[in-house]
Amino acid sequence: MSDPVGLIGGGGLNPARQVAPSAAGARQGGPDFARVLRDNLEQVNEMQADADQAVKDLMTGDRGDLEGVILATEKADNAFRMLQQMRNKVMAAYEEIKQVRV
Amino acid sequence: MMESLSTSGGLAATELMMRFAGGRQRVLAHNIANLSTPGFQPKDVSVEGFRASLRAALDERGGRGGRGALEIDNGEVVASLSPSGVGRMRLEPGTASGNILFHDRNNRDLERSMQSLAENAGMYRVAAELWRKQSGMLKAAISERV
Amino acid sequence: MYGALDISTSGMVAQRTRLAAISTNIANANTMLRADGGYEPFRRRSVQFAVGDPTSANPAGRELGVHVASIEIDQSPFRKRSAPDSPYKDAGGYVKVPNINTAVEQINALEAARAYEANVVAAETSKTMMGQALRLLA
Repeated sequence: MSDPVGLIGGGGLNPARQVAPSAAGARQGGPDFARVLRDNLEQVNEMQADADQAVKDLMTGDRGDLEGVILATEKADNAFRMLQQMRNKVMAAYEEIKQVRV
Repeated sequence: MMESLSTSGGLAATELMMRFAGGRQRVLAHNIANLSTPGFQPKDVSVEGFRASLRAALDERGGRGGRGALEIDNGEVVASLSPSGVGRMRLEPGTASGNILFHDRNNRDLERSMQSLAENAGMYRVAAELWRKQSGMLKAAISERV
Repeated sequence: MYGALDISTSGMVAQRTRLAAISTNIANANTMLRADGGYEPFRRRSVQFAVGDPTSANPAGRELGVHVASIEIDQSPFRKRSAPDSPYKDAGGYVKVPNINTAVEQINALEAARAYEANVVAAETSKTMMGQALRLLA
């Protein structure tokens, strides 16, 4: 069974994994799901790091805008939760596909 | 990603700020209680000094890969925060400067003390809320099913 | 933050004691006789504040806060008032009156009340901060 997204063996998200791009790239039309997933993951990671840095800067006095820090943490939080939901849905879909008896 | 959140500087920085403001609250309450005491000199710890020391400690820890303890020692504040969360915070307040020229010492001390009190409570609240936020994000990451 | 509440409370107690002394002075601004009826004009009371709180349970806390070290009796000389008909008059026809200036006492009372209020605000702030710390558990 083909594994275009690289879920088998990973069991979840692993940014370090190298997914074979050729199989996915050979598909017609639709975006490369693996790449989309990976990009989103990196983006969320970056937003988390930015929010963390924002909090630290506020504590050390390097920035003074509380609202900016709050917005940064909220955005990072929302992005993470969305990614988590996306992963859960993908896992559910995978489980369903696994049930299909060929 | 989750590991970086738990060893991140954000949780440590807000925790140290909270404990600093909490300790400073005692110093400020002491000043206010002694508004009428003859010969009393109000004391305080420098917030800017603490912030600079916090910045230096975070940078130093960042240089170590974001791991290990945060250490602060700037003469007024001696604090440490280890990865296990146990740490210490000790404040040595010095004499607040610049008030000896005024005869009406009592008035200036009252306004300045109340302002410091309000600012300190504000700092505490900001740090507490941000700590809660980051801790909540960590918990959300932990609690969702794999 | 522990102990901040105790410190503010000691401030409140000290200021209230001071206010009590001031009230006593105002109430007795014209008192000439002792409790047993003997002639002795009332002498002004004043409180002496000192740093520290000996009643604190925590040894470390005894150096913080404030307490009334003593209640002094003002020994400044009495003023005299002309009273030719008073049974207590002296050779020149004067009686001694309590050394209390009610205007001064009232100003002092205002200041004591203001200092009391400052301690109340400090106590409320400490309580708010403690409440916020508890919310961290949520």
